[in-house]
Amino acid sequence: MKRASLRASLVIIVVALIAGGVAYAGLLPSYWVFLATSVLITGVALQSLGLVAGRTGMIALCQMSFAGVGAWTVGYLNIAEAPGGLPVWILIGGLAAVPFGVAIGLPALRLRGINLAIVTLSFATAFDTILATMTYPGQTDFLQVPRPELFDSDEGYFVFVLLFYGTIAVALEIINRTRLGASWLAVRHSERAAAAHGVSIATAKLSAFAISAFVAGVSGGLLAGYLGTLVAENFSMMQSLSLYAVSVMAGAHFAEGAIIGGLLVVMFPELLRRLDWPQDIGNVFFAIGATQALASGETMSETFRRQVRKLLPARKPKPVGASTQDLPAAVERPVGAALTIDGLTVRYGSVVALNNVSLTVAAGTVAGLIGPNGAGKSTFIDAVAGFLSSYQGSVRLGERPLEGMSAHRRARAGVRRTWQTNRIAPELTVGGYLALAARGLSASETRALLDWLDCPHPDMLVSSVDAGTRRLLDVAGVVAARPAVVLLDEPAAGQSHEETLRLGQRIAEIPKLFGSAVLLVEHDMDLVRAVCSDVTVLDFGQVIASGPPAKVLGERAVKKAYLGIEEESVAA
Amino acid sequence: MRGGADPDRYFGPKPARFPDWEKMNPLLTSAVAGLTAGGTYALLGVCAVFTYRLVAVVNFTGAAIGTAGTFVLIALFEAGFPIWPSVLAGIAAGTLTGVAIGYIMTRWFGEASASTKAAVTVALLVGLIAIGLRLTGGQHPHNMPELFPGSAFRLAGVEVTIASVLTIGLAVLFTILSDLFLNRTKIGLNLRALADRPMAAELLGVRVQMLSLLVWGMTGAFTTFALMIIAPQRSPNFMTLSLLVVPALAAALVGVFRSFWWTLAGGIALGLVEGLASSIDSISQYRSAIPFLVVLAVLLWSQREARWDEAR
Amino acid sequence: MHWKSRLFAAALAGIGLAAMAGTASAAGPTCKDGAIKVGAVSTVTGPADFSEVPKATQAAFDAVNAAGGINGCKIDYTIADDKADPAVAAQAARDLIDNKEAVALVGSASLLDCAVNSATYSRKKILSVQGLGVDAACFSSPNVAPVNVGPYTLSTAMAYYATNELKSKKLCAFFIIIGGTQEAYKKSIENWEKISGQKVHLIDLTLPFQGDLTPYVIKARDAGCDAVLTNQVEPQVVQLIKTVDAQKITGINWLFLAPGYTEQVAKALADTKQPIYVGTEWEPYTEKDSAANAQWIADMQKANRPLTAFSQGGYLAAQMFLKVVASIDGEVTRESVSKALHDMQPLTNPLAGSPYVFGKAKTHSPMQATKVMKLENGAWKVETPDWVVLPQAK
Repeated sequence: MKRASLRASLVIIVVALIAGGVAYAGLLPSYWVFLATSVLITGVALQSLGLVAGRTGMIALCQMSFAGVGAWTVGYLNIAEAPGGLPVWILIGGLAAVPFGVAIGLPALRLRGINLAIVTLSFATAFDTILATMTYPGQTDFLQVPRPELFDSDEGYFVFVLLFYGTIAVALEIINRTRLGASWLAVRHSERAAAAHGVSIATAKLSAFAISAFVAGVSGGLLAGYLGTLVAENFSMMQSLSLYAVSVMAGAHFAEGAIIGGLLVVMFPELLRRLDWPQDIGNVFFAIGATQALASGETMSETFRRQVRKLLPARKPKPVGASTQDLPAAVERPVGAALTIDGLTVRYGSVVALNNVSLTVAAGTVAGLIGPNGAGKSTFIDAVAGFLSSYQGSVRLGERPLEGMSAHRRARAGVRRTWQTNRIAPELTVGGYLALAARGLSASETRALLDWLDCPHPDMLVSSVDAGTRRLLDVAGVVAARPAVVLLDEPAAGQSHEETLRLGQRIAEIPKLFGSAVLLVEHDMDLVRAVCSDVTVLDFGQVIASGPPAKVLGERAVKKAYLGIEEESVAA
Repeated sequence: MRGGADPDRYFGPKPARFPDWEKMNPLLTSAVAGLTAGGTYALLGVCAVFTYRLVAVVNFTGAAIGTAGTFVLIALFEAGFPIWPSVLAGIAAGTLTGVAIGYIMTRWFGEASASTKAAVTVALLVGLIAIGLRLTGGQHPHNMPELFPGSAFRLAGVEVTIASVLTIGLAVLFTILSDLFLNRTKIGLNLRALADRPMAAELLGVRVQMLSLLVWGMTGAFTTFALMIIAPQRSPNFMTLSLLVVPALAAALVGVFRSFWWTLAGGIALGLVEGLASSIDSISQYRSAIPFLVVLAVLLWSQREARWDEAR
Repeated sequence: MHWKSRLFAAALAGIGLAAMAGTASAAGPTCKDGAIKVGAVSTVTGPADFSEVPKATQAAFDAVNAAGGINGCKIDYTIADDKADPAVAAQAARDLIDNKEAVALVGSASLLDCAVNSATYSRKKILSVQGLGVDAACFSSPNVAPVNVGPYTLSTAMAYYATNELKSKKLCAFFIIIGGTQEAYKKSIENWEKISGQKVHLIDLTLPFQGDLTPYVIKARDAGCDAVLTNQVEPQVVQLIKTVDAQKITGINWLFLAPGYTEQVAKALADTKQPIYVGTEWEPYTEKDSAANAQWIADMQKANRPLTAFSQGGYLAAQMFLKVVASIDGEVTRESVSKALHDMQPLTNPLAGSPYVFGKAKTHSPMQATKVMKLENGAWKVETPDWVVLPQAK
């Protein structure tokens, strides 16, 4: 994983070096260097948008407003003759945009895309009117933002901007491969699944907004040095809107996507001018392009990557030879009850989903929770893992009551769950997913764990993994964190008989290998019988039986409620 | 002094038609002055909620659709056609624009997530504004016929125009109709099922695409008519009219994209607050920030408790 | 064609004679490749269309070229659209300067060209004879000198007219502030206060670019304004007066700037009884019989260009530039054109009330005179047959 990020960074650096060299050596006419600089600055703005819109999946329509904050800050620092010169001012400008980003991000914590779109659009409108009343600092005195002496010429400033672009691209590339970066993708795909891995949605979203605002602010500062003086129209809402359209079209969350987008924004007017066509065609084109990209679900840079991948010989991930010894060591847990649920009652309006359910999962064991569809099993898991806004009764992890703790805090405290439907972000790699699920897993531990569950190579993309294997990956994710309790929601659904047998073995090994107690929700009675030492049966939200599987599954009430149709197989 | 001011009017006794209480309530006066805007926001906001509840799209092009129809009216009127046939043609054009956008949405984005759909309408808005400005020109004023000239009554020293009364009346009417339509009629219930699960509705035999297009056409016609009424009092410029969608969506958020009545109240309140703000010099400059602050406040209030999205 | 030829031959002869008289060895301007490259950055598409201005410049240049050019040099004129987008404007300016190698910019008319590009112009040492200065930077940059009065001087002039001619005692000013015009408008009111010795009754810098104007007209009424000066542009002029009529307000003189002076406004406001005044940038273009307009009208009609105020600006910029270029001895380059503009003597033209001069000042606002028009029954009527020239405030 580290290697991959190193490789990507190297590519960026080499490309940047070549571009900088070509420009600096004067191989390009200064006009083209001027345009290329504009491409890069737009690229920086697009990178910031790619982070929040592309990666985290939030519709942000005020990116140029953040850039405006950065630009105006640079202008004020210039007037004040602040020390440090342009590079320092640009960084301060970026930092100045951060509080705005966080402030906009705050309502986004609990909001999904659409509301955020409205918030950001109205912010852009509001910012427009405020900025319109503020003359760019120095403009009335014809005082321009000076470039650093070394980078004063067109070529020099190109290199200057290139340095910023490269640094930001490399930094984002590295962050994207960290747990934080993975959490952005996870949040985009499913906030609940992310929270179930202990990811704080607030931190993920706010960090995305803060970093994005910083980068946008930097782009504004770069623009200030580029043009010397600015006008409010540089940062108007329409600019933000069309930038958004371009980012959707080009796929700005990829380093090359931001460049493609920058090229579109800068070269389209150029092309239109050369063809002597009206300039406003550009926005129509971007609108159509963005709609097309959204309809096909593939951005320009994804198409580009797919084509490149076709050309390159497929790299086969080397088979891994890891043994169970490399598995992360089990966490010692005290003997006794790992999870105690007492009198759990959940109501949805007048419907009682769970009624006074009590259940205990002993440390070092696998317990089962069964019941017909609609009995309340998933509601039970939701309640325990903290995904319900309210319930009555108590949930204790060991001795610790979990009431009042949000889902991601419960996950961190040691309650991990899987989902009936797969919720892994398809853009992640297998290894990246495990890193998201379990902090600080070493490369050999990752491989051993994947091997233990017959999962694919860590460098594989989740999107290329089949649905059945993804369910195993889900299990790998929760056990990798070695929590006190693992809640498995129908892990065998969709698996073949042989696979189920093997999965059963693995589940049975979890307490010993990882030190986690397991609560297994399953329909497959063979699996339940094979691995569970204790079974609880739910029907209409009530516990109708509990005890060792052999005894419980034989009870008349259980057979009637749940196993009626399978009477013969139970008897057998 | 041709056409100049009559000094007596200012230096002589105060004209009798200014009752004193009017002077003592400058805030009330300016609030009433914001009524017209409020009615517009409310009407557009209710249309936005209607669209969202029936086809599950937060429509950023709402006002732009109406603007397109309005400009057809202007073009025909300026070309010398009689006014009411031009109005009908304009509404037809607005309906068609709505249906066209609806077609894009149902044809390619029927199964897409709410935020993808919203993103599409944002992209379409960018294109629509460019095309609209190209066709209509932002430069020259258009001769926008006043459909309902004159003032209805005087309140707090402000002439409340028939147009603004009509806008508010229309907003109320549309609110009542939408409420009844959605909650009382079979077709409304069908449409709600459709918004929740297009696939499931299809299986139930609901003709999804036809119904969706119907909704798009209806809101298109309604917004067009609304914008026609208020356009003379705004500067009829394609971009500024299209961007009325911002306060409209703010109003819709007040109703959390569910309640028509709250949206109505939110829109009118927004207009009143804007009117108020313009009388207070220190904040008047930042008046356009009001929808943002309202949105922010409403969201922070309505989302006090952490809730997990059903879908995710 | 021969009409044009004769006319410009005559004009050129005049210029040539003048040049001869100046220096004995005068050879007139010369050029490489037989062309003088000139450009303009204008808003053509987007929220506004100012293309009438550079198109009139183009027409004037075409006429000269058809007559053989200046001393044999044809003018190669490029109009670049900036879409009112700063990024596109910057790109367009660089394209004209770097690729087209323009010697000067003539007849530009844009919402933001000056603000965005004046830094570039001074960096690249190129001057712009702006056909229509719109943004404040057009009047505060060393490298731009517009041929129009501009909204800031015009505001002072209209306020001056209101107090002098309309005997206004309670002048109120409502301004839309966009993109760094706040200081400029404040200053124009201050200038008026200095000239007239009056205080402004009410000044509001918060007029919305879009949105309902009712609160503002109510505010003007309740403040007891007897004259209201605003910088509304064309569509908003109509909107404002319609709002005023809807509120049944009477007894206020409404003073607008040059953007309100169009036939569309007159037509749209044919029914109003409000006293409406506008200040013009140049000789009123609607006065088709005016002697001052005769030459311009003749040239525009030959080129099939509409007769608008915008086209006066472009035409005037072209005339000024042609005269300055004709005065150059030797190679016409960016340097020689800049030098000629810096050293030029004030040039008069019947279209403008003040002589035009570029000069070496740090800011340029050479035009200081307007004529006031009044709207009567859907047509504009000249209120001040003589130019209203601002007295110097200092």
